[in-house]
Amino acid sequence: MTLNLKTSLWKPVIYIVICFFSLASIYPLIWMGLNSLKNNEEIFSTNVYGLPTHFRIENYVNAVTQFNILSFFKNSAIVAVVTVIFTILMAVMFAYATARMRWRLSNIARIYGILGMFIPVQMIIIPLVIIVRDFHIQHSLLAIIIPYIAFNLSFTSMVFYAYLRSIPFEMEESAAIDGANIFTTFFRIILPLVSPAMATTAIFIFLNSWNELFTALVVISDNALKTLPLGLIYFQGQFATDWGASSAALTISSVPPIIMYLIFNRQVESALTVGSAVKG
Amino acid sequence: MHSFLNRKSAIFVFVFPFLALYTAIMAYPIFQVFVKSFYEWDGITSPIFSGLDNYRNMLKDSDFIPAVKNGLIFAAVILVYQQVVASILAFIFTSRNLKLRGSKFFKTSFFVPVVLSVTVVGQLWVQLFNYDHGLVNNLLGIFGDDFRQAFLSDPRKAIYAVAFTNGWQFMGMMFVFIYAAIKSIPEQYFEAAIIDGASPFTLHRKITLPMLQETYKFTLVMSITGGLKAFDNMFVMTGGGPGGSTMTLSYMMFKSAFQKGEFGYGCASAVVLLLECLLATLIINKFIARDRIVY
Repeated sequence: MTLNLKTSLWKPVIYIVICFFSLASIYPLIWMGLNSLKNNEEIFSTNVYGLPTHFRIENYVNAVTQFNILSFFKNSAIVAVVTVIFTILMAVMFAYATARMRWRLSNIARIYGILGMFIPVQMIIIPLVIIVRDFHIQHSLLAIIIPYIAFNLSFTSMVFYAYLRSIPFEMEESAAIDGANIFTTFFRIILPLVSPAMATTAIFIFLNSWNELFTALVVISDNALKTLPLGLIYFQGQFATDWGASSAALTISSVPPIIMYLIFNRQVESALTVGSAVKG
Repeated sequence: MHSFLNRKSAIFVFVFPFLALYTAIMAYPIFQVFVKSFYEWDGITSPIFSGLDNYRNMLKDSDFIPAVKNGLIFAAVILVYQQVVASILAFIFTSRNLKLRGSKFFKTSFFVPVVLSVTVVGQLWVQLFNYDHGLVNNLLGIFGDDFRQAFLSDPRKAIYAVAFTNGWQFMGMMFVFIYAAIKSIPEQYFEAAIIDGASPFTLHRKITLPMLQETYKFTLVMSITGGLKAFDNMFVMTGGGPGGSTMTLSYMMFKSAFQKGEFGYGCASAVVLLLECLLATLIINKFIARDRIVY
């Protein structure tokens, strides 16, 4: 009885607290979205908090036509998708070999492969720039795709390793009896079984590459190769005083990850949380 | 029986792409960083061995001490904001007999900033912190124009504003993390306490908090190493300024290698950065939560 009384008294306070922090988290983003449809005059004085009245699509038109925001967007999309595909392919094969195939150094190879999770990008960036230059890939998107794949390998293979260990070994035995070779077994039987882990790691890798700034900043110098996080910085340099246009650019680059989160909410939460947790 | 699981050629095909790329991009550079930190090197001409010169110069570098200090301030700000806010929210959402309406919506909203890039969040907060038109200053302006703050151009305030932005962005992640940790505490503990008449506050104080020791230790490591490594937020929001007041070790490394062309010195900064992260992790592991709680 006393317990209930206490909770009912506290309830309004608790609602105020959670509403406050919820607003603190999303209102700035809503503000950004609204600003993207206003001009400076409205943002600064005439219509500071309200909904946009004129729906100034020209902000988006400006962001697209006067500046190559679409090319940044395209680069980000290519980089993210290619990184996802190749990271998963290489990591799942490696995880398969260490989790289920029998060879002498398998355990050592697995541990060696996991250590990368503890290496911050800042540590390896200087030699990495030299490597990219030596391989003559600095003038193509490969200059960031290849490092991104490498950065994500450890975490991805660790997730697949845990997953593959839980699959019964009879899978391969029966496949072998049916006369399938290792590659058919792997692609036809094993890969479909690990698809839930693929979804989680794909989301993790996608968001990581979509949002990555540091490596792109250091490695990419051609304007045509810039990804969104990098391109936005140069956009800001030119449009800093035009809040409407810069909000439009920020909104364009936020839409894909937000949609992804709203659709795959649980997977995104677990992928990012676990991913950053093991990365430390 | 299934002999194909130890066929050498198949194993090679499965592990070679991973090991080759991983070794070239992750392992070899780590080795290189240590070696090159003992050289004077501009990244173009061949390096000249210079012993411990880079490390000695770093101690004399006027950026070094502020960089370490800023890393710790950054860590402290994100630690306080994220841990405190995320813990309070996680406690609320895991409280029994507190039927909250729309809890799914609230939980989702905390996480939205986490999925955005630091560039977007940083640029957005540059606008929010704007002296004349930013939301934060409009809010402070209610109390009078004297209350408006030049958050990002005041050398004493900039690091706090930049760190807060990061704390704000990743609070939702800490929330999910702590929330999941609380959810994994065995239900019987709470049931027993409820039978004994414990209030929600007592439950959290006597059961949840002690059970979360390991989680907190872990988030502490994350915040401190995150603060020492901080770079993106500064680069986007202040460019390390005003007057070097938001300089961090990562930024120092970036500046020396990629703006001044002192690659050897940059490598030495990277090594120091790694050592500091390791040191912080060791200290935390040694002094906090020494006796593990066994479930």
